[in-house]
Amino acid sequence: MDHSLDECIKCNICTAYCPVSAVTDRFPGPKYVGPQGQRFRELDQVTAPDAAVDFCSGCRVCNEVCPTNVKIAELNARARAQIVADEGLPLRNRLLGRNELLGMAGSIAPTVANFALHNPVSRILADKVLGIAREAPLPRWSEKGTLQDWLRRTAGQRLRHGPQPDGREPTYGRGKQVVYFHGCATQYYEPFVGKAAIAVLEHNGYEVIVPPQNCCGLPMLSNGEFDAARGYHQRNVATLASFARAGFPIVGTSTSCTLTLKEEAPELLDMHDEASHTLAHGVWDIFEWLQQLHDRGELRTDFRPLALVLPYHAPCQQRAHRVGKPALTLLSLIPGVEVRESHARCCGIAGTYGYKTEKYRIAMDVGQELFSFVDAQGPGIAYTACDSETCRWQLEHGTDIPSRHPIEFMAAAYGLYDLDKRALA
Amino acid sequence: MLDLLVIGAGLSGLTAAALAAQAGLSVRVVAKGLGAQHWGAGTLDLLGYLPDHSPVDKPLAALDSLPADHPLRQVGAAHAQRSLATVADWLAAAGLPYVGGAEGRNLALPSAVGAARPVYLAPAAQAAARLDDPTPLLIVGFDHLRDFYPNLLADNLARQGHAARSHTLPSALLTTRGDANTVHLAHALDDPATATRLGEALAAVVRPGERLALPAILGLDQHPAVVARVQAITGATVAEIPTLPPSVPGIRLHRALVQQLSRPHPRHAGGRVEANMTAVEFHAQDGAIQWVATATSARPLRHTARAYLLATGGILGGGINTDAQGRAWEVIFDLPLALPLTLPTARAQWFRPGFLDPAGHPIFQSGVAVNADWQPVDAAGQPIYANLWAAGNLLAHADSLRTRSHEGLAVVTAAAAVAAILVRHRHAPASAGPVPA
Repeated sequence: MDHSLDECIKCNICTAYCPVSAVTDRFPGPKYVGPQGQRFRELDQVTAPDAAVDFCSGCRVCNEVCPTNVKIAELNARARAQIVADEGLPLRNRLLGRNELLGMAGSIAPTVANFALHNPVSRILADKVLGIAREAPLPRWSEKGTLQDWLRRTAGQRLRHGPQPDGREPTYGRGKQVVYFHGCATQYYEPFVGKAAIAVLEHNGYEVIVPPQNCCGLPMLSNGEFDAARGYHQRNVATLASFARAGFPIVGTSTSCTLTLKEEAPELLDMHDEASHTLAHGVWDIFEWLQQLHDRGELRTDFRPLALVLPYHAPCQQRAHRVGKPALTLLSLIPGVEVRESHARCCGIAGTYGYKTEKYRIAMDVGQELFSFVDAQGPGIAYTACDSETCRWQLEHGTDIPSRHPIEFMAAAYGLYDLDKRALA
Repeated sequence: MLDLLVIGAGLSGLTAAALAAQAGLSVRVVAKGLGAQHWGAGTLDLLGYLPDHSPVDKPLAALDSLPADHPLRQVGAAHAQRSLATVADWLAAAGLPYVGGAEGRNLALPSAVGAARPVYLAPAAQAAARLDDPTPLLIVGFDHLRDFYPNLLADNLARQGHAARSHTLPSALLTTRGDANTVHLAHALDDPATATRLGEALAAVVRPGERLALPAILGLDQHPAVVARVQAITGATVAEIPTLPPSVPGIRLHRALVQQLSRPHPRHAGGRVEANMTAVEFHAQDGAIQWVATATSARPLRHTARAYLLATGGILGGGINTDAQGRAWEVIFDLPLALPLTLPTARAQWFRPGFLDPAGHPIFQSGVAVNADWQPVDAAGQPIYANLWAAGNLLAHADSLRTRSHEGLAVVTAAAAVAAILVRHRHAPASAGPVPA
């Protein structure tokens, strides 16, 4: 059990900055639901402590501003898991937690799946029957195959440092290998983000290894389904820890997946075994990793100019890495790119939170701070940039301006990627 | 490599970072949270009482009567005045003018419970509640705001001979929320329609010749406009009184300082404040700090700088910690602490029967001892690390709560430490790596 709540000095700074409490009465604020509520959650308590904790979006802004490092968001996540354990999980939340299964199922026949999900009748039904908000920005399955399909198709074109199939000498030195964790969204919805990442890594002379992997478990963690999340994390540890042990950096473009592998899953699931620890310490957010490459003078900077005024939002889950904003630094290296930094607290979507009928409005109200920031940058903004997929979908929903992962801009600046078509050049 | 790494985002850390950035140094502020202004009153107190508890009228002139080892005495009146004036200029430029008493006198302002507190510089809206002004005060609160009690305030003020009465308005005037704190209400008042509604309600209850005093919620982003609008509608002077945390005036002060330190400079793109970067490790070699590391979601992140400024605060800010055995230590570099002889070693002996004992608590006099250049020193008076400086309420012998010098101490010692760092930088070109001993 976490005792960081004893460090709470009741200063209320978390309540002052909580983006959810700012827009709704249904969430009284992190201090009340977190360290204060926790004192009333006895281990033998049979009834759920309070319903308000379900309105915590898990954005972790409270953790960010707390002067005494109280793990408020984790307290809330554990309390929600207790409610789920006591009262069971609604079908809707069970579905939303199964990001990987949904991705897999839709990818069997993505055109059909997209039509089935994205027509107005289905959305009204999903709203009424399941409680998935009809306006919420749900993703579309990739109709051009998954990332793994593409990797299989292009295996012969991948940069390799080991012996080549045709006996040629490798182009680059050995030891420049990196493991890529794509996450479910890149695999099933946005394979182009993975292609851009692999192009950037290969351009820097790294062989990219994409081992079998599964969902990081975050959607289940944030819906309070800890037991299911444990199975997913254990499987990732089983397949990926050996790479970390062998010294391969494991980089990911989904900043919430990398955060989960590093910290959220071991922390919330109390998985502090050697293999989980080794994996956690081998994982990097891709821009965190590129930044240290740049710090060592090893990042290629042969960028073509991109004439862009680019509003950049570091999403909550990226900020929770506590590594600064490396994407901001590296995008600023591209000639012609003028990065405008968002200081908005949260886009509102918070993973699956904003998909839920009863929370959609809250999520949009939370996001208003970010949407207004983008609007204030004036007309002629072609894209926004953000490291998290659900946040990009929310940003597009709230601003009507296309949003891209920062890695897509880097790939484009290397001349490897078409930002508009979202395809390798 | 950075020119300066500041540890701590309180008033001393932000002031130091802003001054250094203005002088062209590349600066990063790393902090465990988002600083301590959020639970301060947002005023700049310099010296309200001497250690013997006699009240101070002109704080600058009184600095010389402080004990010789007091950090404010070490700064001196001339430097203190200059650095406070610089900060006041920044705040005015940010639309947050601060004012003081005539001829450098302390203002007497009402606290959240109606006690008179001595303040050197106050936000204009707080200064408007000054108690030497005989204009009667109408203290107005809101029925669902738990953190502000107008009748208690007015009673306490009346007991001290100040003309004051109270009135309570419905919170529903400002918000549809059932549960709103000061920040929620301040956000609501940023909307001109809400501010107008408040002005009209106040106009109906204020009597001619009265001043209005409200909890400090008059706008967050639009504070000057909200005050102006309410004054225009009521025709009365409108003042703010600080509340329990979260402190809206403190948040305004924090924002203005962050805005100041983020300004781009020909030599850098502006300083940065990194909240939620807790310093957990450092490395020193040849008597100089080589790096400070902060915790991340996985591996520690190293920050290298030519100079390091420790501005983590005292026991309240988190720069000093203690355990059940009564041991006290500095949390980042484990610097030696000057501990007053009156501090009992057993924690059980730390308590006195009376709340807020006038003698104060000896722990507030503990802290890091520095030399004339604001560098932490060992028992022999020698700097412990050649490139480490310290400022703010971490410094020994300050006892700033009891002497009402908390914010002033933070600002003026930060300015003094930055001046010393700048002198060293001028003698050591940027290419030279860590500042040499």
